Amino acid sequence: MKKLLLFALVVLCDFSLFAQKGDEQKYLLTTITNTYGLSGISLIDPYLSPLTYTGTGIQFEHESRRCWSETTTRLSIQSKLDLEAGYLLNPAQTSAMNYVAVNYSKGIHYQFKPGNGWLLLAGANLDIGLGYKDVARNINNPGNVDLATNFNLSGIAIYDIPLNRRTLRLQLSVETPVIGWMYVPLAGASYYEMFSLGNLTGISHFSSVFNRRGIHPKLTVDIPLKRSVWRIGLGYQKLQYTANNMVFDRTETSLILGTTFDAIHFGGRMRKAPKNFISPND
Amino acid sequence: MKKYSLIVLLAVLSLPSCMNEPAPPPNTHEGNFQSLWKIIDTRYCYLDYKHINWDSIYTVYHQQLPSVTGEVPFFDLMGKMLFELKDGHVNLYSEFDVSRYWKWFQDYPSNFSSTLIYTSRYLGQNYRMAGGLNYGIIDNGRIGYIYYGSFSDPFSDANIAYAMNSFSKCRGLIIDVRDNGGGSLDYSKQLASYFFKNDTITGYMRHKTGDGHSDFSKPVEITTPAHKTIQWQRPVAILTNRMSFSATNDFVNRMNCAPHAIIIGDRTGGGGGLPLSSELPNGWLVRFSSSPMYDTNMLDTEFGIAPDISVALSAADQANGIDTIIERAILALK
Repeated sequence: MKKLLLFALVVLCDFSLFAQKGDEQKYLLTTITNTYGLSGISLIDPYLSPLTYTGTGIQFEHESRRCWSETTTRLSIQSKLDLEAGYLLNPAQTSAMNYVAVNYSKGIHYQFKPGNGWLLLAGANLDIGLGYKDVARNINNPGNVDLATNFNLSGIAIYDIPLNRRTLRLQLSVETPVIGWMYVPLAGASYYEMFSLGNLTGISHFSSVFNRRGIHPKLTVDIPLKRSVWRIGLGYQKLQYTANNMVFDRTETSLILGTTFDAIHFGGRMRKAPKNFISPND
Repeated sequence: MKKYSLIVLLAVLSLPSCMNEPAPPPNTHEGNFQSLWKIIDTRYCYLDYKHINWDSIYTVYHQQLPSVTGEVPFFDLMGKMLFELKDGHVNLYSEFDVSRYWKWFQDYPSNFSSTLIYTSRYLGQNYRMAGGLNYGIIDNGRIGYIYYGSFSDPFSDANIAYAMNSFSKCRGLIIDVRDNGGGSLDYSKQLASYFFKNDTITGYMRHKTGDGHSDFSKPVEITTPAHKTIQWQRPVAILTNRMSFSATNDFVNRMNCAPHAIIIGDRTGGGGGLPLSSELPNGWLVRFSSSPMYDTNMLDTEFGIAPDISVALSAADQANGIDTIIERAILALK
């Protein structure tokens, strides 16, 4: 009986030692947010039309954010993928524009904790965007491509609001382009001349705050429910850029709804999942 | 520090307001008139070449504006103003009408009868169709004949390969582009490519770069590539009439440089300016020539391309079921 008790103690100690060892190991959480948006869009593309096209759009954004490393937690890495589609009409509603765009950005933030419940992130990101606008009735200028890459300043302010049963998270994020490169077609030239005949002079532009300006604030609230955290919010985007004697303008106001959750990524030789995690691959 | 941060923030927020596209005029008759006049004044490419005094035209038509009431009379007035440009590539599109200038072919003999080419003397009833090409062998098996009615109709290398294979025993080929009002410049280039041994510069193009009537970019070369696998190296005759317009005009211009090609028929209708489009505040679409195209001597092709052999369709021949222009081409290919 004594031997049995001793064996049980040894086994229990071993388990508790293992658990302790597991607790000491730190794992990086990745905060993943998927949101859907419904937007009101106003767009001027002088290559296609001098008129302002307005309409609605839908968007999807996948955002992930995690600390730089297990030891460097002041720095966080953020990546975002935005997909958007819109259908717009000219003021007289005689012509329609279809609009699709994709944008990917990767950035880094430094975190400040100025007070209880506050978290401030200041940093920058590099993005690349590709879009296509199509006005089908146009002749020899039926579409135009948006292609740009930018270095953007980025800031996020987070405040946790403790309530009786839950803590709401209020988040304001702002981005603004600073410097980059953009493609702008030649005013008065067809895509045939530019791409079939190869007249590419003047389509590539260095961009800075002097010829490409914008601001993209977004205010959201994270609401924890029983098994999920929902995000609702409002977004606004204003982008103007000029080149080749044309001024392009996009204004967008969005209603955002989505979910946010934390996940742990395991992968590679160095980041194997501990045994107390159950994987479908095992 | 707070003061500076506020200044920087205000500066960033106010930046977008510093850069604005000029607002379009209001959606009134006056606003739409001003908008249309300005689009042509700043973006139409042939005002100087055609010696058009656009300021005088403004005066003439603007003074008629107060007497116009209603959409249709206003449209007609705008259409009349555009008619002064004498350009088949200029149109005003509304929900109820399209203004147009068709005198480039209406004032000339047609020199084409679709009935004639489908008689038993030519294509007959059993001709073949490949893509947009109708083809057959005429002149007792000696001449291949292709009728191509629109450069908007697609065709492929395979279509051409089959057609040319069927002409393997023919001594010459006729490509009939009469009454072909144009379409895609890519098809024009593709069709021409089968008749070149080497990549060849066959013309130039420019585009408007500023508001001035003669503000143009440097000419960019238009090259007709030689097709890598399909090359017709025997004589070829291109049949043209006044209805050979726009992309067809471009095709004829390219074929002018092809080593074994000869142009037969009437002068082409022109349409050497690649058109673009814009919009008026009321939503009407305006199409206008924007990028002039030139031949290898930098001569404008807006007023058409003269044939190597000028032939008209004779009424007497037509009555006897003979197409004078095809017959002349057969003779030229002997």
